[in-house]
Amino acid sequence: MSDDAVIEMSGVAVANPHGSGIPLVSSVDWRVARGECWVVAGQQGSGKTTVIETAAGLRPASRGEVRLFGEPLPSPAGEAMARLRQRVGFVFEGAGRLFPDLGVAENIALPLRYHRHLTVAESAAELRPLMEAFQLERFANLAPGRIGRAWARRAGLARAMASRPELVLLDNPLEGLDPVHLRWWRGFLAELVHGHPWLGGKPATVVIATDELRPLLGIGTRFATVDGGRWKVLGDRGAVSASDDPAVRELMDERN
Amino acid sequence: MDTVHIQSRSVSVVSFAAIRARAAGATLRRLVAFTLISIGTLATKAGKSPQVMRPLMIEQVFRVGVKLLPIVCFLGITLGIVIVGQTVTVLQTVGAVKFTGMLLVTVVIRELAPLVAGLVVLARVGTASVIELATARALGEVEALEALGIDPIHYLVVPRVIGFTVAVATLTAHFVLLALVSGYAFAFARGLPLTLTGYFGDIATALSWADFPLLALKTSLFGAVTGLVICYQGLSQALRLEEVGAATTRTVAQCVVGCLCIDALFVPVYLLL
Repeated sequence: MSDDAVIEMSGVAVANPHGSGIPLVSSVDWRVARGECWVVAGQQGSGKTTVIETAAGLRPASRGEVRLFGEPLPSPAGEAMARLRQRVGFVFEGAGRLFPDLGVAENIALPLRYHRHLTVAESAAELRPLMEAFQLERFANLAPGRIGRAWARRAGLARAMASRPELVLLDNPLEGLDPVHLRWWRGFLAELVHGHPWLGGKPATVVIATDELRPLLGIGTRFATVDGGRWKVLGDRGAVSASDDPAVRELMDERN
Repeated sequence: MDTVHIQSRSVSVVSFAAIRARAAGATLRRLVAFTLISIGTLATKAGKSPQVMRPLMIEQVFRVGVKLLPIVCFLGITLGIVIVGQTVTVLQTVGAVKFTGMLLVTVVIRELAPLVAGLVVLARVGTASVIELATARALGEVEALEALGIDPIHYLVVPRVIGFTVAVATLTAHFVLLALVSGYAFAFARGLPLTLTGYFGDIATALSWADFPLLALKTSLFGAVTGLVICYQGLSQALRLEEVGAATTRTVAQCVVGCLCIDALFVPVYLLL
């Protein structure tokens, strides 16, 4: 267990959160070092989301040990876990799971207002650069249901970034995006890996779950797959390109 | 053959009752655990994040209390005429007017008002809240809160329980006042020889000082139990769309049973007054 490890999972099994408790993915041995960008690929329903949710401490592991920032995960409802979660940004699949009773700006400001006791005006001033960088100013006062899915996902990303996390986990961020949004997201992810201005130019540790490897091949530095309940670390880009594993080739969209 | 049939039938009735009793026991255990967790959260995070939590609580008090004020006032006036007005008239007729205060304190203030306020809150806001929370759970909003380091019990449950508690207590007070006033107005309109000071004097004499804290406690417990059951049923499991109706029905049944049990616990206390 070295000091620069951000996520460490050893012998971890994860179960379907809506199922019978039968392991969905077994024996996950994974170490994410500071500054790495991991791409976890797998078909829909393979369990990649559950693996990254478990790594973020959002779901308990059925077996094995999970450590975040070198420490075992504390009790889910305690203050220690709340503090730990402020160091982690999690971007959910789809429309970002924004809270429908809050406006877009209120959604993004919520973690700052809750943890740092800021007023609406203070949080708005602090988040202005983020809203501008994410081109969300014109949606600030709208309800999440009144903006497009791609914009809602971007707002979900902004909410996860609001507390300037050290570790960012994204669940299928490029799914179903039009070319303009896709270009923006790829640019953002590349910037996040190399150092985003919002994070003071410091490279973040990033984990991206995806069902398509190709768009993320130029962004990720380390790759793993979840296939048939098995966790497999592939290695770097070269290892992915050279892999003759049919599952990897399928995820690279090279079936035809 | 008939004896065997009746015996097997009675066995199946007994086993059915045993299964239901076990299920009720399990639900009660989970509800108690949920209540203890909620109380723990309330105690440990009482002053946390006032910028976020205070508006949430005010919104719940407004939604459950202020918005229901017109219907509770209407019920207070109509039930005041129906029950208080008729009671006073009957007592006058049979010459038992000296029992007016005692009867109204026992029936209206101690029993009817808290139950009516609790049931109105349950029917008008409680069922909608279950659906709202169950939808939030199904859409993953609870996980989204956890991901932001926000305790879902603190953010979703505490404001609702406080809102329901404050609302039932204040709505009860409004109901009592309007029922007593409209009851007197009805009796006065019918030309009964009852003075305003005499009427309210009788009620004040029948009231004990302990009635005030006891009424506040009872109505607060009604509100708290209603709020807790609603939050438990809405958040305890991710519901599918077809399960929401059943969860709502369970909520109503459990809230009514809970409030009546609390009501029963107060009876010996009132008998001592």
